[in-house]
Amino acid sequence: MYFKKSIIALTGLFLCVFLIVHLSANSILVLPEDVARDMYNSYSTTLRESPLIKIVAYVLYLSIILHAIYALLITINNRKAKSKGYTMNRFKENSSWTSQNMGLLGITILIFIVVHLANFWARIKLGMGEGVDLDSKGHVDVYEVTYSLFQNGYYVIFYSLLMIPLGLHLHHGLKSAFMTLGFYHKKGLKILAKVSLVYAAIMTVGFGIIPIIVFFK
Amino acid sequence: MKVTFKIWRQENAKSKGNFQSYEVDGLTEDMSFLEALDHLNEILVGQNQKTIAYEYDCREGICGQCGVFINGRAHGPHDHMTTCQLHMRSFKEGETIMVEPWRATAFPIIKDLVVDRSAFDAIIEQGAYISAKTGTAPEANAILVGKEVADKAMDAAACIGCGACVATCKNSSASLFTSAKINHLNSLPQGEQEASKRVLEMTRQMELEGFGSCTFTGACEVECPEGISIINIAEMNARRAKAKWIG
Repeated sequence: MYFKKSIIALTGLFLCVFLIVHLSANSILVLPEDVARDMYNSYSTTLRESPLIKIVAYVLYLSIILHAIYALLITINNRKAKSKGYTMNRFKENSSWTSQNMGLLGITILIFIVVHLANFWARIKLGMGEGVDLDSKGHVDVYEVTYSLFQNGYYVIFYSLLMIPLGLHLHHGLKSAFMTLGFYHKKGLKILAKVSLVYAAIMTVGFGIIPIIVFFK
Repeated sequence: MKVTFKIWRQENAKSKGNFQSYEVDGLTEDMSFLEALDHLNEILVGQNQKTIAYEYDCREGICGQCGVFINGRAHGPHDHMTTCQLHMRSFKEGETIMVEPWRATAFPIIKDLVVDRSAFDAIIEQGAYISAKTGTAPEANAILVGKEVADKAMDAAACIGCGACVATCKNSSASLFTSAKINHLNSLPQGEQEASKRVLEMTRQMELEGFGSCTFTGACEVECPEGISIINIAEMNARRAKAKWIG
């Protein structure tokens, strides 16, 4: 079980790094339209054409799958270890709700990822659904895909709201991953707890606010 | 003082248990929780009913024998306290007090509130000992141990094995208990001989006994009567990785 737990921690940390890169790219979307479209489309073209990014993309897919599958296997084992729960359990007095519900938060994020991939990845990379036009420079107009998606208020609400469970999951997950991997420096852990909070807040607010900004653009 | 106890009654490991309510009068706020249960048992004896089974020994918070889930918390409403140190003044007049045994697959119920914690003994047997001869007290002083190291080892050694960590953990993980035993001995020069073997075998046994994984909710360190920190678990993970990959 500890091997599986370590894989969850390692893939989780990789996904944390990925989110930083993802958010940096997304922040292009808040720039004025003429600049943003060019920058965003040429950036995404560079990514799609880079062989290094191709490898990273496969590591990313694998990370998400392993993270989810091992979490499921560990949860099954944990349920076996606690075959009967308490009639009354005041766990909020000794631990955070987030730490007690990482699985539930994880499933919510997984649902988000599926919708998110259907909106972008399936359309742009797999060519499913409505075709994507090229921009004036001949790049695939990913900006347009994003812009038009976030003209739909329901998608804006879905994307922005689901950044809350993501933030909660990251807040506990980041510090917990380090401890699973054996980081036990007392002062370091205190700093890590603060870093996790700041990191989670930036991710939630950052990813959450961009669809709203795009909506009002 | 008058309260209503709702207590889990179960005849043996195989039978199906259920809660039974007991209205108990004649208690005082100065009574310990266990004394209140004693009082209830005396009433039950008078009525020719079966008494409630629960464990205790020292009744001064050091033996680790007592331990039940009271009102949704391991060892009752206070942090860092054993059941025997809990007093009735922590409850309100007329309150209904829920009393459940530790719930963990690795701790099967023997009767009522008594659970079988021999899974802990099985973990201990895998390495919570040293083969180095330490001699008598003056000889022990020949082995120099720094104050910081000694303090750290003593903090871990404070574990009384009550099982509250397993009881409160959503995964019934025994990580806090096992890490305390490992870090206690592995921090000290006397424990060095078996250091790697101790980590690998005790953690392996922990998994074999059917305890779950640690997800760092931190509930265990709050309920632990000795306040043993979950940093011990992170340190155990580091020692485990080192023993496995470096030796």
